Amino acid sequence: MSAPLLKLDQVTIRFGGLTAVSALDFQVNDHDLVGLIGPNGAGKTTVFNLITGVYQPTEGTIAFAGQPTAKRKPHQLTKVGIARTFQNIRLFHSLNVFDNVRAAMQVHRTHGVRQALWRGKAYRAAEKEVEDRVMDLLEIFKLGRLRNEDAKNLPYGDQRRLEIVRALATQPKLLLLDEPAAGMNPTEKAELAGLIRSIKDRFQIAVLLVEHDMQLVMNLCERITVLDYGVKIAEGTPTEIKRHPKVIEAYLGEEQIA
Amino acid sequence: MIPGAKRWLVVAIVLIAIVSAFSKQFNSYYLGIAIDVGINIILAVSLNLIMGHTGQFSLGHAGFMAVGSYTAASFTIACTKHVPESAAPFLLVGGLILGGLLAALCGLAVGVPTLRLRGDYLAIVTLGFGEIIRVVFQNMEAVGAASGLSGIPNYTNFFWSWTTAAIAAYAVAALVNSTYGRGFIAVHDDEIAASAMGINPTRYKVTAFVVGAFFAGVAGALYAHHKQTINPTGFDFMKSFEIVVMVILGGMGRTVGVIIAAILLTILPEMLRPVAEYRMIIYSLLIIVIMMARPQGLFTLRSSKGANT
Repeated sequence: MSAPLLKLDQVTIRFGGLTAVSALDFQVNDHDLVGLIGPNGAGKTTVFNLITGVYQPTEGTIAFAGQPTAKRKPHQLTKVGIARTFQNIRLFHSLNVFDNVRAAMQVHRTHGVRQALWRGKAYRAAEKEVEDRVMDLLEIFKLGRLRNEDAKNLPYGDQRRLEIVRALATQPKLLLLDEPAAGMNPTEKAELAGLIRSIKDRFQIAVLLVEHDMQLVMNLCERITVLDYGVKIAEGTPTEIKRHPKVIEAYLGEEQIA
Repeated sequence: MIPGAKRWLVVAIVLIAIVSAFSKQFNSYYLGIAIDVGINIILAVSLNLIMGHTGQFSLGHAGFMAVGSYTAASFTIACTKHVPESAAPFLLVGGLILGGLLAALCGLAVGVPTLRLRGDYLAIVTLGFGEIIRVVFQNMEAVGAASGLSGIPNYTNFFWSWTTAAIAAYAVAALVNSTYGRGFIAVHDDEIAASAMGINPTRYKVTAFVVGAFFAGVAGALYAHHKQTINPTGFDFMKSFEIVVMVILGGMGRTVGVIIAAILLTILPEMLRPVAEYRMIIYSLLIIVIMMARPQGLFTLRSSKGANT
């Protein structure tokens, strides 16, 4: 087995006096579907921001595909294959559905300012290819017929899916989904679960899922890591997690009392 | 996504050439306004790239214009004695390019450190920068200091003004309407999401700034060879505001709207000349009314930037 796709080694981040994530060891292998769960404020989104380069760890190292990610900017990490969605949807609101995805094709674009101005044959061919790829992606997620719709006018569920399409357009090796089921009803959640599974199979990528919805994570993920107050309290298969006393205490127990 | 966009540019230039062939028959007052319109289109379209598309509030556009203006004017004044009359167009084009390049260089010098700032802060810094440029020219004896630079040859005509405007409009539209260019709008909408999509926000902002400054410099060069006298007060922050108003009125990020706004706002003050002292009051009132009635921009038909360029 070669190096894991993503490896967090003793990662700690402090904001002033607050330790948001503390000595976290964690890894994702190729084609994994891994869940990261924990109660509110456990530091899940902070972990996402650490992986994507929004924050730099105070201590510890993060490596992606064997390369340390320290000092690399988010857009550089996207280029090497980390894509993400956001907890609060962050689509490009003044662009339509098609252009939202097209804007995310920067990583693999072959033209720059000069070609865009001159618009020669090679440029037009490249743009045609981009268009085909965007439409392919949109069709897979049944968003093709909405291509000229403004992203901000889409129904909530479609916006979430569009964000996933946009992230996939960067051709990632690892897709980070930040609470993709937030605000969805049970039917939509079931659809989403199927969707995530099919993404993993079709695009042959690893998926790291941060989610509140226990059932979704339990059904979907092969491995789950549980965070509480920035500390990893458990790791294992869904069955193991369900029985883990610390998890029940921190997470499930809390729900039972409530 | 404009198929055959270059064809439209060629058609536009041919049309402009035909019209300008008859320009001798026009009233010279109207012709002068028409040339002003072309120059203002360049200014508005280039600021639109920075402000409308990329979302960087810049109040220093007149500063870049000044750089282009003085550079080109000094160039042609120095050269015009040494070349025959027939070389005038080449001198003008040389001046335009030179002025544009120097302005672009200033854009780069200002853009790299300041574009880390956002919104109001950026506006203030660019405002300060524009004023610095103006004050530098005001104290530079070589270009006439406060009394300005005069005796600039009258090279700008209808053809050059409008052809350059067409090129500027084409350049900005072509740039923004490419996969590359969608990055400008992505940065405008959400910098964090944009960088998560592999877009380098700083790079895009600086590019917009440099390209915008280039065309502002070109517009300044045309202006110098149209008015034949330039002085620093012509490039104060009121001029920057004027361009900002054109962009906002036309609808941020709408090339066509911004062009129409530039035309309107150039002609309007001239049309209001009969009411003399009330002119600027009516002009300002009109802008207020338009802004209240159509805050999204006068000519914005749909909200997405995809189709409407």
